[in-house]
Amino acid sequence: MSSINSADNISELLKTDLNMGFRLVVEKYSSRLYWHIRRLVIIHEDADDALQNTFINAWKSIGEFRNESALYTWLYTIATNEALTLINKRKKNAAVSINNLEDYFVHSLEGSTWFDGDAAQLKLQDAILLLPEKQRVVFNLKYFDEMTYEEMSKVLKTSEGALKASYHHAVKKIEKTLGGD
Amino acid sequence: MQKLNEIPDKNPFKVPEKYFEEVNRKIISSTSGYDLEVRKIGLYDRLRPYFLIAASITGFILLSYTAVKLLTPGRINLQASEAMFQDSSEVYINEIDINTLEENAGDMVLSLETSEAGKADIIDYLIRENIEINDIYEQL
Repeated sequence: MSSINSADNISELLKTDLNMGFRLVVEKYSSRLYWHIRRLVIIHEDADDALQNTFINAWKSIGEFRNESALYTWLYTIATNEALTLINKRKKNAAVSINNLEDYFVHSLEGSTWFDGDAAQLKLQDAILLLPEKQRVVFNLKYFDEMTYEEMSKVLKTSEGALKASYHHAVKKIEKTLGGD
Repeated sequence: MQKLNEIPDKNPFKVPEKYFEEVNRKIISSTSGYDLEVRKIGLYDRLRPYFLIAASITGFILLSYTAVKLLTPGRINLQASEAMFQDSSEVYINEIDINTLEENAGDMVLSLETSEAGKADIIDYLIRENIEINDIYEQL
């Protein structure tokens, strides 16, 4: 079942029963959106806040949403913006310097209760954190969410060609980092 | 150099137990409450300007009516008081007349009392004019 077909069924329900339709939206997409946010912000509590803000913002505009765009990409757009907003706010408020902020979160994964990965996965997450923010988003959406470039183009308002190039470079950087240890 | 596809495809992140059930419930309850409030406020917001206008007009009418009522009863009372004043003044005037008469009478009595000769003259007058003293007493 493609995400777009599901979106059409829910969009029909949103026309007739807004509350029930939105309930289905939350139940269907909360997990997926949470993990997307979590991979960007790393910390569970931050991801929790961003996820709730995502759906609250979605709810405010849900009445306007009908057939204008796929619900799936629209929610990812909101979630991505919430995550990036939180990251930027974190940078402003951080006690450590901006350059060391990624190192801070890299080391926070180690021994964290909420990180259950092996050594290889820890190295991968460390390498991803070293990417620029936008490139990190592109990589995560493609590698973990398996989003198509067409869908990603709608989420990030960027051309498919630029996204392909960005992902290609991201993979090269990560593999170089992984191979450098 | 290690390739990405060599890394196990496993989500390394964890969440608290039953997290998604709770967060879904939290999101739905917060947005559901917001929906009811939005609908109420939406209707209220639409009608509020009209309510304010109606309240202003009603308030103005009430104030005007109250002001008129305060002024117009005063005129009626004034008429009544004028009537009362007239009545009381008539009484007062009557009393003045009476007091004046009494004073005059008093003066006259005093003048009579002070003059024994005056009394004798009166009696002589009465006898000459054939006026019965009893008639005079009756008049008094």
